Amino acid sequence: MENIYKPYLAEIKEIIDETPDTKTFRLQLKDPEVAKTFNFKAGQFAEYGVFGEGESTFCIASSPTRPEMIECSFKVYGKVTQALRRLNEGDTIGFRGPYGNWFPLEEQKGKNVVFIAGGIGLAPVRCVIDNVLDWRKDYKDITIIYGARSIGDLVYKYKLKEWRDRPDVKTIITVDPGGESDGWDGEVGFVPTIVEKIAPKAENTIAVICGPPVMIKFTMPVLKKLGFSDENIFTTLENRMKCGLGKCGRCNVGGVYVCKDGPVFNYAQLKELPDEF
Amino acid sequence: MEEKIISKQNLVKLCADIIGGGHILIAPGKTEYVVTQDASQIVLDTQSKPTKASYKTFVFPKAEPVLYYKRGKNDVQILDAGPEQKKTVIIGAKPCDTNSFNILSKVFNWDYKDDFYNYRVKNFIVIGMMCEFSDRYCFCTSVGSSPVSEKGSDIFLIPLDADNFAVRIVTDKGKEFIDAYSKYLTDGNPSKSKEVSEKVKHPEVAFDSKQVHDWLAKNFEHPKWDGVGDMCLSCAQCAFVCPVCHCFDIVDEDYSYTEGRRMKNWDGCQFGHFTLHASGHNPRDIQGKRYRQRVNHKFKYYVDKFGEILCTGCGRCSRGCAVSIDIKEIVANCKD
Amino acid sequence: MEELRKLAKELLENKTVAAVLGYVEIEPKRTKPIVITNPEDAEKLVFNEYCLNNLAVYLTKARIKNLAKQNGSVLKLGIVAKPCDIHAIIALIQESQLKREDVYIIGMNCGGVAKDFGLEYGADTLASKCVPCETHKPLYSDTTLGAEKETPKVSDEVLDKIRALEKMTYVERFAYFKKEFDKCIKCYACRAACPLCYCQRCITDKTIPRWIESSPHSRGNFSWNVVRAFHLSGRCIGCGECERACPMDIPLSLLNRRMTETAKEAFAYVSGRSLETPTLVGSFDVKDSDELFM
Ligand SMILES: Cc1cc2nc3c(=O)[nH]c(=O)nc-3n(C[C@H](O)[C@H](O)[C@H](O)COP(=O)(O)OP(=O)(O)OC[C@H]3O[C@@H](n4cnc5c(N)ncnc54)[C@H](O)[C@@H]3O)c2cc1C
Ligand code: SF4
Ligand code: SF4
Ligand code: SF4
Ligand code: SF4
Ligand code: SF4
Ligand code: FES
Repeated sequence: MENIYKPYLAEIKEIIDETPDTKTFRLQLKDPEVAKTFNFKAGQFAEYGVFGEGESTFCIASSPTRPEMIECSFKVYGKVTQALRRLNEGDTIGFRGPYGNWFPLEEQKGKNVVFIAGGIGLAPVRCVIDNVLDWRKDYKDITIIYGARSIGDLVYKYKLKEWRDRPDVKTIITVDPGGESDGWDGEVGFVPTIVEKIAPKAENTIAVICGPPVMIKFTMPVLKKLGFSDENIFTTLENRMKCGLGKCGRCNVGGVYVCKDGPVFNYAQLKELPDEF
Repeated sequence: MEEKIISKQNLVKLCADIIGGGHILIAPGKTEYVVTQDASQIVLDTQSKPTKASYKTFVFPKAEPVLYYKRGKNDVQILDAGPEQKKTVIIGAKPCDTNSFNILSKVFNWDYKDDFYNYRVKNFIVIGMMCEFSDRYCFCTSVGSSPVSEKGSDIFLIPLDADNFAVRIVTDKGKEFIDAYSKYLTDGNPSKSKEVSEKVKHPEVAFDSKQVHDWLAKNFEHPKWDGVGDMCLSCAQCAFVCPVCHCFDIVDEDYSYTEGRRMKNWDGCQFGHFTLHASGHNPRDIQGKRYRQRVNHKFKYYVDKFGEILCTGCGRCSRGCAVSIDIKEIVANCKD
Repeated sequence: MEELRKLAKELLENKTVAAVLGYVEIEPKRTKPIVITNPEDAEKLVFNEYCLNNLAVYLTKARIKNLAKQNGSVLKLGIVAKPCDIHAIIALIQESQLKREDVYIIGMNCGGVAKDFGLEYGADTLASKCVPCETHKPLYSDTTLGAEKETPKVSDEVLDKIRALEKMTYVERFAYFKKEFDKCIKCYACRAACPLCYCQRCITDKTIPRWIESSPHSRGNFSWNVVRAFHLSGRCIGCGECERACPMDIPLSLLNRRMTETAKEAFAYVSGRSLETPTLVGSFDVKDSDELFM
């Protein structure tokens, strides 16, 4: 009998404090056989479990092109994420995955890519960015627009630096008005405003967008104005999940199992769904 | 397939043999399907009311450990859990229950395979029985079944007279099973049982499920959902007694400082916290939306995805609802 | 019945109430709850021995409460209520969930209701909650309707069962309740149907820490059913809705009734009987005996 609910064990190799309430874990699967064959695609997620507390859903934030470590970043909310926060390097957690679909990166080769992210929404996008950067020659212009409420809320500061330092990537970092402080050399303004200002061209371009609902709500009209079609705008849905396997019924939006048929959707697909996410 | 006859006395002996053989035998009790130790106590009455809850708990238990864990200093050990591999026989199941595994198997196998469920079903023998009960809540005939449907039964019983049952052998699994008890059976005459089954009164067809499906596709937003929602109490009685509702929760529970187990427990979409995000956002924040999900999942989404209606028409959810919300009536009114 | 319909229509028309919670007949011997806002619908209302629901459960529901808010002003909610339902309304007022002026109580004189829908009403089919009922007439109402009626006199089986359980040893009693609670599937219909289980966040839903195991197995069920009974002790008004709602036929009223009897004996207190008395918990006195509930 195969037990689909049984996780792998993973060791926390490194913990990075991103913001006061967001942490990144760098994980290694304990079973060397599993670790050797484990693979996933950009955009997939997993269930991370603290035994005795439960499991929580996070995307895999690291790129499949860098398989040494599995990374996830989480914001502390409830039971499981609070328990995860209490863990230390060297501790063991459960890991079930990878689950769900992925960004169609292979199919989009030869195009320009615009990444737009807000707050912790950079986690799912980061994996795609690193993947695309590792396949740099396959894509044309790459633009990253990332914003957070304040400087302190920006995640992956080490990544942001790496991307900004690359001449072959246009990286714009912004904080909401009032979130800046002396010496801030990035932009100040809400993400939609910045997107409008940068005005990436829509022709032969796909956009990947993730962030808080308000950010998405106000960025979408900007993208439409710039000429992006619904099929070329991708995002991930975040519905409450338990099994990740298309069984428990929790993640359904209409007839769609977000955990199986998603979490990655383009806007044409989202428009087909009932307004229940 | 084949048809045999068994006398009531022999049926009791057969049941006693099943129990004696170390198998689990389930039969309809007063209000529930119960595991039976005493074959002589079994009452097979075609006119009995459907039990309050279905027997899905025997293949998809209300609470089931999926693994056990033991925490060390910074290590964890996982011990596998699994279903008991015991042959289970249910006798006297109503047609509106027997069809449930066909429907449930779809979701438990459409991609990942849930072997907790599969292994139980594999070891399950369903002996269905014709039904002569019908009340305002029954609607098996509206969802493609009937009081004489053999769908989902391995063996199907039809009472011929006060002392004998016709035994229709429906599946190979049923044949293999019943062959072991052939000494209790005599040869049957299908035309006789057919005569009986054709006389059974069928509940009136309340709606055309295809039309309902198409109406639902166009009426996601409709004032009727709020109307139902305002009276509905948000319990999950309707989901928990349903033979084909299959939503569950996964929770960890410690039973000592270092040990515990991960449980898979029934859950239902009528609970407000079912879809509540940790951030406080809830895509189905009011009861009307949750009831809409219930109807849509059953009569539209599941049909689109798996080709089956997620409902056997047993009427349990309505019969048991504290505020008399009647799914048949609601679905029958899913029309312009 | 006609006076009920006429009154409801008037109340809606002259905007005394924004809505009326009442009963409609869906077939002979069977009713269901309804909320009406249109005066025309008043003619659907009925009242008879098959009005089993306690409609007070709706008075704390957000969307029902919102009905009262109309164009800036707040109207009353009308409710068709049996004397026992009125006990629930009083208890809700005592517990500050409701203000007396929020509701217009259409009190019904009552000679008891049936155990279940579809049964011929009579001494054999009298709902068990009606057996000990001493009220029969609304204790509070804005209008009282219907003729006073006699309730069939039958023996109090629930109390007899409680007395029998009290005579058992602790082990026997535990075994009895374990067997009953094992049937529980944690559908929470008992909680949903109870007018006094109005907590926005029930203790069973709290996960940090988890007080009550959510699993429907012996341990989780015991903690749920016992904790629920404790939370309702001195508060339960005995409407029996929890037991009626329970799909697994768990005799919840044995617990609730026992708690009620205890409160009655020790403090001469019965929940939901008087707007002048504070709640039992609210009137805690250090001199109170604490050996009662175990
Ligand atoms: C596909 C996907 C990817 C995600 N990626 C990330 C990520 O990279 N980083 C991040 O911080 N968050 C992410 N989330 C959200 C994250 O899953 C929840 O914030 C988290 O589960 C909250 O758990 P908790 O234990 O703190 O909350 P509690 O409310 O205590 O959660 C209890 C249970 O509820 C479930 N749950 C609660 N909220 C959510 C939610 N919003 N989404 C899904 N399940 C929920 C969990 O399964 C958990 O077991 C993602 C969600 C999905 C569906
Ligand atoms: S329909 Fe009835 S059983 Fe279902 S949640 Fe609503 S009140 Fe409960
Ligand atoms: S939805 Fe109701 S009628 Fe349909 S199968 Fe479930 S319990 Fe039976
Ligand atoms: S109706 Fe609700 S509880 Fe039943 S299977 Fe569908 S989503 Fe789950
Ligand atoms: S506990 Fe039961 S009997 Fe008591 S008020 Fe609540 S529903 Fe009524
Ligand atoms: S209604 Fe009955 S089965 Fe449901 S939770 Fe309450 S006691 Fe348990
Ligand atoms: S998370 Fe369980 S079905 Fe999608």
